[in-house]
Amino acid sequence: MTQGQAPQVVMETRGLAVGYPGKTVLDALSLEIRAGEFVALLGPNGAGKTTLLRTLARLLPPKAGAVHLEGKTLQSIPQRELAKALSVVLTGHIAPGLMSGFEFAALGRHPHTGMFGSLREEDVRAAEEALAMVHASALANRRIRNMSDGERQKIVIARALAQAPRIILLDEPTMHLDLKHRMEVMSILQRLCREKNITVVASMHDVDIASKVADRVALIKDGGVRAWGPPEEVLHARAVAELYGFDGAAFNQCLGSIEIRGAGCMGSVFVAAGVGSGAVLYRMLARRGFSIATGVLHANDVDAYVAESLGAQCVLEGPMEPVSDAKFSAALELLKGADCVVDAGFPVGGLNRRNMDLIREGLLLGKPAFTLRKEAVNGVDGAMRCEGASELLERLEVQDAMRCTAPKEETTA
Amino acid sequence: MSTAESSLQIIKPMESVQSARSSLRLKWAILSGALLLGLAVIFCLNVTVGSVGISFDRLMQILAGEAAGSSEDFIVWHLRIPRAIGSALGGGLLAVSGLLLQIYFRNPIVGPYVLGISSGATLMVATVMLSTLHLGFMTPGPYLSTIAALIGAYAMTLVILGIASKVRSAVTLLVTGLMVGYLCHALTSILMAFAEKEKIKGFILWEMGSFAGFRWSEVQILAVVGVAILALTLLLAKPLNAFLLGEEYAATMGVNVRLFRVLILFSSSSLAGMTTAFAGPVAFIGLATPHIARLCFGTSDSRVLIPGAILMGAVVTSLCDFVARLVFSPVELPLSAITAFFGAPIVVGLLLKKGASL
Repeated sequence: MTQGQAPQVVMETRGLAVGYPGKTVLDALSLEIRAGEFVALLGPNGAGKTTLLRTLARLLPPKAGAVHLEGKTLQSIPQRELAKALSVVLTGHIAPGLMSGFEFAALGRHPHTGMFGSLREEDVRAAEEALAMVHASALANRRIRNMSDGERQKIVIARALAQAPRIILLDEPTMHLDLKHRMEVMSILQRLCREKNITVVASMHDVDIASKVADRVALIKDGGVRAWGPPEEVLHARAVAELYGFDGAAFNQCLGSIEIRGAGCMGSVFVAAGVGSGAVLYRMLARRGFSIATGVLHANDVDAYVAESLGAQCVLEGPMEPVSDAKFSAALELLKGADCVVDAGFPVGGLNRRNMDLIREGLLLGKPAFTLRKEAVNGVDGAMRCEGASELLERLEVQDAMRCTAPKEETTA
Repeated sequence: MSTAESSLQIIKPMESVQSARSSLRLKWAILSGALLLGLAVIFCLNVTVGSVGISFDRLMQILAGEAAGSSEDFIVWHLRIPRAIGSALGGGLLAVSGLLLQIYFRNPIVGPYVLGISSGATLMVATVMLSTLHLGFMTPGPYLSTIAALIGAYAMTLVILGIASKVRSAVTLLVTGLMVGYLCHALTSILMAFAEKEKIKGFILWEMGSFAGFRWSEVQILAVVGVAILALTLLLAKPLNAFLLGEEYAATMGVNVRLFRVLILFSSSSLAGMTTAFAGPVAFIGLATPHIARLCFGTSDSRVLIPGAILMGAVVTSLCDFVARLVFSPVELPLSAITAFFGAPIVVGLLLKKGASL
């Protein structure tokens, strides 16, 4: 492993069990973490992410097995040496109020300074560089007390950086942060890995962000690591759904995002879509509780990914293939079962020309039909023209057939 | 291009940080000088002003030994100077004791008095002072009551530490300290009920908190042991800064948490216990003066705050002693009454202000 081009393993757990006195939280953990890698620990609340991180930071003794840092067992490393190799960012509010951003970051120089903690020139420079690294140079002379949560979190990370570690462990580093700071903190952490070759191990909640920034992820649930590897291999829809016990939501690996399924208590809508025209429409319909049928989509179309994540009934054609007779009639069956037909206004080309025929069939069957198409197309004039998605939604919701079915059952009961 | 830009980014704030640091250092130096000067002035006032007024010229004569044998000479050398030194020293020790407790518990509203550490010391001193006859001791000398007070303070610190490990809330810790303090008071009053009349009088005077009647032998103990522990706390300044973030962060920053936890609490209760042994339980100095020092010096850095708190504690306590002696002269007010007058509002203020900082 260590020879040649292979990246060096900096931290390794062998048969590690973590927990508190009288309670083992995670068992049989064998992970290898390589230098400069961004590792995300994912899992539901209470799964043991924090316990694992605290054990890796030597704040908790292992219950069994061992953690090895650069070949030595963690427990055998002198405290000061450990502090030079590894720093942590914990959750929880820490704010010695009468400190400037610089003074706080300079606390990270603790293991490098002498008995009285006087800062030498290189310590000042290290703290400065740490602040610059997290885009917080402007905060150097400001009081911590007067900073926002996002600014404070950057200073906290700067302190961990000023410690000049080879590994940084972070417990939910983006908790309580708004979207802007969340993305900023994540890109800072990613840069640490790429530019400084620092290993980052962070527990986090956002599967979508983890799938985009992490080199490897560990899925933690039910007393162990369920899966461990690159997000491309590990974070497939079913694994994520199992991890969090998703009900009515789905993670889509290609989109790297989570789609929330609708209640499906409204009527059903057949959407003729394709080439990205349907994605936003599906979300809106699912959100309002319509059940969705759609086709004919090409399997590599973004509409297909979104529709499947939302649990829509889909008729899919192979990529780059013209719509076949079999797929056409399958879609027609779905259309017959739907209360309404919607034309998403997809661009018409050689491969999906027959989708227009689906709308015509719908009109012939007497289904209420709506179109988002700007220009008129021969044979589908009977479809009601809607200016935008909101108008479409209004029109759909006044349809009798679309009334929510759930209250009806109550009244009959 | 981009590297030139980024290096520029680094250099620019670096200069401003450097200049901010040096201007802060200047501020601290000026402030320390002012406090030293203030301490000297109050010291002179404490020695010269009183029911027997002494002019500055006369004081110089007395200090030069030219008035040996006169009553003024006795008053200055045996009453006022030991008292002035005692109050300044005691104030400094209490302030550092409070500072250490506030940092360790990460709680701005603790101090040796409100946590009941002074009460623990009081109880042990009461045991020694009030029941010597039964136990067959000789008259309680300064050593005996010092040792008793220290034992009381250590015991109470252990109790508080045990409770603090169970509760995280700042206010709960405060209330617990008060309750434990009441318990000690109750035990003390039971001891008083069984004690001889003459002893009770002496004890009550002591318990009100006063630097009156400070003897040279007591000043000596306080100076030698107290200054030794203060020197130790200066060595604790660096780990104390790490403790500002809590024990866990301190551990990950390379601090031997177990060792320094013991050292911090040992120093703190020694300082409080010793002062209590001689001056009785003095309220609020240990709680309020670290805050005043923090606000004046404008930093949470222990390397600055420990000397700052010593000076601030000395000045404030000397001033309070001066006021206690002077306002209703010849009647002398209890020192704790004066300190409570400004200390209690500070505690209430800190409770009201949620984000009180360390």
